[in-house]
Amino acid sequence: MSDQLKDKHQRRERRTVKVPSDGSHGVRVKEATIRKNTDSVSIVSSMDELGHHDENTRMVVTMENTYQTAPHKRFPVPAVTHILKDVLSSYLQQEKYEVEWSQKMTKTICEVIRARVKDLMIPRYKIVVLVHIGQQAGQSMQMSSRCLWDATTDSFACYSFTNSSLFGVATVYGVYFE
Amino acid sequence: MDEYHNGNEGSFNSEEADNIVKECIENVVGGEDYSQSQVNKWTASIVERCLTQLVKQGKPYKFIVTCAVMQKTGAGLHTANSCYWDTSMDGSSTVRWENRTMYCVVSVFAVAIA
Repeated sequence: MSDQLKDKHQRRERRTVKVPSDGSHGVRVKEATIRKNTDSVSIVSSMDELGHHDENTRMVVTMENTYQTAPHKRFPVPAVTHILKDVLSSYLQQEKYEVEWSQKMTKTICEVIRARVKDLMIPRYKIVVLVHIGQQAGQSMQMSSRCLWDATTDSFACYSFTNSSLFGVATVYGVYFE
Repeated sequence: MDEYHNGNEGSFNSEEADNIVKECIENVVGGEDYSQSQVNKWTASIVERCLTQLVKQGKPYKFIVTCAVMQKTGAGLHTANSCYWDTSMDGSSTVRWENRTMYCVVSVFAVAIA
């Protein structure tokens, strides 16, 4: 089995403007499929790219110096945890694990969480959202993460939800852009 | 092949990150079978090694590395991520690895500083 993600990365077009944009990826662990579409060839882990089809017609934007040494408003961990709890509970409460449904749901939940965190309007923060949905089958699992960042400005929030047939874990990292 | 026209060192090189991560996973759980008592150590070790290797590149990035290790019991797992950042400078890479008894999924997110 080859573990190579090739053309997906070469496909990234040249972008010369510094404005934040959104991109989402989904990874399916169980099914190894080879999908060819016009944009990319993915092998083993199927990666979907949504909203990544920007044109190369943007202007170059130069940002002025803000003389700001620290963020005015920090990443609000409790507020984001509340969002995660809300979203996961409402989407997964009475559901049973199904392959196709879970695949779609993972991506949907990801987008919803990202949209809601964006709505909090925390200036100069970049957001990374991670969602895992898995089947409860008596297996054991461990997830860990480590981050190299500025501990005074950056932070994360996470929440996990379980019911009898599935579990869902959502994590949001907020990274300050100096 | 697209050309990269960045003013500074360039955007995040996901291929290089892929290789670094694969190597780290192999070194830590290469020939092992899933073990409940050791898995905690493994995930911590994988993540730390990946981070130190990535930092050795010397690029001006903040890194987020996540690792999920799951026992193979026929259960399904789905993962998705969604990011609000600057697509010209920031990037991510996900590596899926498995052996006879377990799955390992490692994601690296690189966020540019300034």
